[in-house]
Amino acid sequence: MADNNANKQQPNGLPRIGFYICHCGSNIAGTIDVADVAKYAAGLPGVVVSRDYKYMCSDPGQEMIAQDIREHKLERLVVAACSPNLHEETFRKAAAKGGLNSFFFQMVNIREHASWVHEDKKAATAKAKDLARAAVYRVRFHKALEKQQVPVDPNVLVVGGGIAGIHAALTLANAGKKVTLVERESTIGGHMAAFDKTFPTLDCAACILTPKMSAVKSHPNITLWTYSEVSKVEGYVGNYKVTVKRKPRYVIEDLCVGCMECIDACVFKEPKFADKFNQGLGKRKPVYIDFPQATPKVVMIDPETCIQFKTGKCKKSCAEACDRKAIDFDQKEEVKELQVGAIILATGFKTFDAKKEPHYGYGKYPGVFTALEIERLVNASGPTSGEVVLRDGKHPKAVGIIHCVGSRDEKTNKWCSRVCCMYSLKLAHLIKEHSGAEVYNFYIDIRAAGKAYEEFYDKLLSEGVHFIRGRVAEVTDWAMTPEEEGKLVLRVEDTLAGFVRRVPVDMVVLATGLEPQADAQEVRRRFNIGCGNEGFFQERHPKLAPVNTFTDGIFIAGACQSPKDIPDTVAQAGAAAAEALVLIDAGHVELEPNTSHVVEEECCGCKSCVPLCPYTAITFDEAKKKAVINEVICKGCGVCAAACPSGSIRQNLFEDEEIFSEIEGVLGK
Amino acid sequence: MAITQMMKYEADRDADFARWATSQTGGENLRHCIQCGVCSATCPLSLYMDYTPRRLINLAREGFKNEVLSSLTIWLCASCYACRVECPKKIQVTDIMYALKRRAIQEGVYPKRFPIPVLAKEFGRMIFMWGRVNETLLVIDLFLRTNWFKFLSMTGLGLNLMRTGRMSFLPDSIRRKDELRKILNALEADKTEVAK
Repeated sequence: MADNNANKQQPNGLPRIGFYICHCGSNIAGTIDVADVAKYAAGLPGVVVSRDYKYMCSDPGQEMIAQDIREHKLERLVVAACSPNLHEETFRKAAAKGGLNSFFFQMVNIREHASWVHEDKKAATAKAKDLARAAVYRVRFHKALEKQQVPVDPNVLVVGGGIAGIHAALTLANAGKKVTLVERESTIGGHMAAFDKTFPTLDCAACILTPKMSAVKSHPNITLWTYSEVSKVEGYVGNYKVTVKRKPRYVIEDLCVGCMECIDACVFKEPKFADKFNQGLGKRKPVYIDFPQATPKVVMIDPETCIQFKTGKCKKSCAEACDRKAIDFDQKEEVKELQVGAIILATGFKTFDAKKEPHYGYGKYPGVFTALEIERLVNASGPTSGEVVLRDGKHPKAVGIIHCVGSRDEKTNKWCSRVCCMYSLKLAHLIKEHSGAEVYNFYIDIRAAGKAYEEFYDKLLSEGVHFIRGRVAEVTDWAMTPEEEGKLVLRVEDTLAGFVRRVPVDMVVLATGLEPQADAQEVRRRFNIGCGNEGFFQERHPKLAPVNTFTDGIFIAGACQSPKDIPDTVAQAGAAAAEALVLIDAGHVELEPNTSHVVEEECCGCKSCVPLCPYTAITFDEAKKKAVINEVICKGCGVCAAACPSGSIRQNLFEDEEIFSEIEGVLGK
Repeated sequence: MAITQMMKYEADRDADFARWATSQTGGENLRHCIQCGVCSATCPLSLYMDYTPRRLINLAREGFKNEVLSSLTIWLCASCYACRVECPKKIQVTDIMYALKRRAIQEGVYPKRFPIPVLAKEFGRMIFMWGRVNETLLVIDLFLRTNWFKFLSMTGLGLNLMRTGRMSFLPDSIRRKDELRKILNALEADKTEVAK
């Protein structure tokens, strides 16, 4: 420890600097001779106090700094410790406590950058000295800065009306916030609305979901826009301007009461078009409603199949049947604008396209189904009223469920989709219950990690469902023995029995994995957030900030972030709503002052900075012919400052003299 | 080296056998098996087994009757109950082994001249006749039915045992043998009933 006299004058005219080095237990002190660095720093120009301490971030450590600032009249502060990500804010506060502007402080990372990455004690100590010197040289030029406060708009936008979006919207609305829920499809409910039962409790999906759907519709704080998409997002945390396109459904939402008399009156006497909600297993008319509990309960017209749209020569019996005159063939797309403070993205997932695994015969053999199709088949309100039948109407006697279709495969999707094991177990149970068929599960591992999930697996085992461990190589209709005639045969190594088997079945169910939505990349660009390699939205931190994104004020929830089941989705939606509330209820956000600004008299108006800004924070003042930076939007990336040919853009904390003296410091002796 | 087909067709499976196996006393839990293999790992005799207990359970509940009944595994089981102690699903592996042994004897598919089933059968026959086992006769019977040469090489040891009074030629017997036979017959009838 070296402590210079408190009353020593600074004849060189330099500001009085305090230097502090942390042991971090043995994290730093184990590799770096901290006392030696402290002694060295004491001799650097301007340093009047230099100390080492076991845990600088502890309360006594911070108190020591604050006290020194007062006693030694310190004007600048340098702390050599861990990453600024961890404790920069701690020491800024310590500086403020001592009466010093928080930005008269520079942090030196000698843990992640030195002690943790080196073994040679001598070299690591020398490196710590170099880094300390650089900071001491730089900190002299620091200026007093203040964090700017920006008000936050209290309204929230939730994108996606699946269970995640529904739960997030309801949570916020119940907290008294105004929420706009935007859903691309004609009804909210998402995938969950199509499910029959939910694992592991086997409670009916619709029974637990539809009350929440109608709560959304009737909630005074929620504005529900279905059949709508966000087309543009501008602004910044707390102050987003969002443009939403409301696609025409050719039915006036405010007038339609969902009596469905138009559907009965349609010139098509029988439903004849593939029903998307029922995975194409059922039929609908050109005027339709997805399912009886659709929310909002409003019909819509499909212009692709409606005769009026195709030929212009229809009797329009649907419009005649509607006594509320809700059908409007001339409805146009509407564009709406919204002001919100926070956005929650809950855009969900899509399932793997089973046709990409042609050896499983989806689309080739009528007996091969996807899991979503089976969800509709076993559903009492589905196209077969819950009867498990093949496409030819026959009842299957044996059913094979192939797990991991498209998942855990370097050729398709590398990841485990987390829900397929459990939904396959659920479907196995339901198929056995509805049809009495012999059910085989072909799995690689059973991943039943969740509350009461292993117990559900055990229940399935006891029900006599076959579990054959092995990835099915092929589904074929080529019979090799009499009992395989007319069947679909699955060839698989039963790795637990130790031989290859051919298992004949009537129905094959493909447990397709979960993937990012087809337009996930476009959406992430629109909202200026990141995606991981696999295409799911990137959270700020995989453990500690799972619903935050790298863009402040934009949160993610549900399967758009990664495959997850309903309990996890709901938990995450609640978390995203809470994070949005934290932002809104604070009323304002504090912005880091490391932003750029234009020195107007030096700007030559070349506009080269304008298109470079990744946050669109720079505009051009045509009257003055000068660039203008909105410091609220600026994230301090420094691109404009580096690119400005006249050097008229300055960035706080990264001014030329600060950077140059830091370089001098790190290179000098 | 002969090339044989190892792949199994549906015809190689006997669903009735699977149903029978999972309905035996102790076999109810068979379905709960998660194939962790701790039974095999803990078994002191699994190093000689053609199918490990874990694999045998899998084959039994899937109905691969021939593989199960002709395996050495069921005869090598020494009823030490180590697997039962370790099993996370409380499967009565030893009880299942007994059920499979009985079925193998019933169907006559156990390996010929293999001492353990012969011993089991002779043991049962003697109990039925006398209510007691006569070791001398049991051993002689066992060797004559399985391995002649072994019998000759063991003669010295046998004579020594008899001389020291450890083994006797005279069959020991209990009173009221009729009643014991009634009990045994009733049990047997009961078992056949369950098997059906």
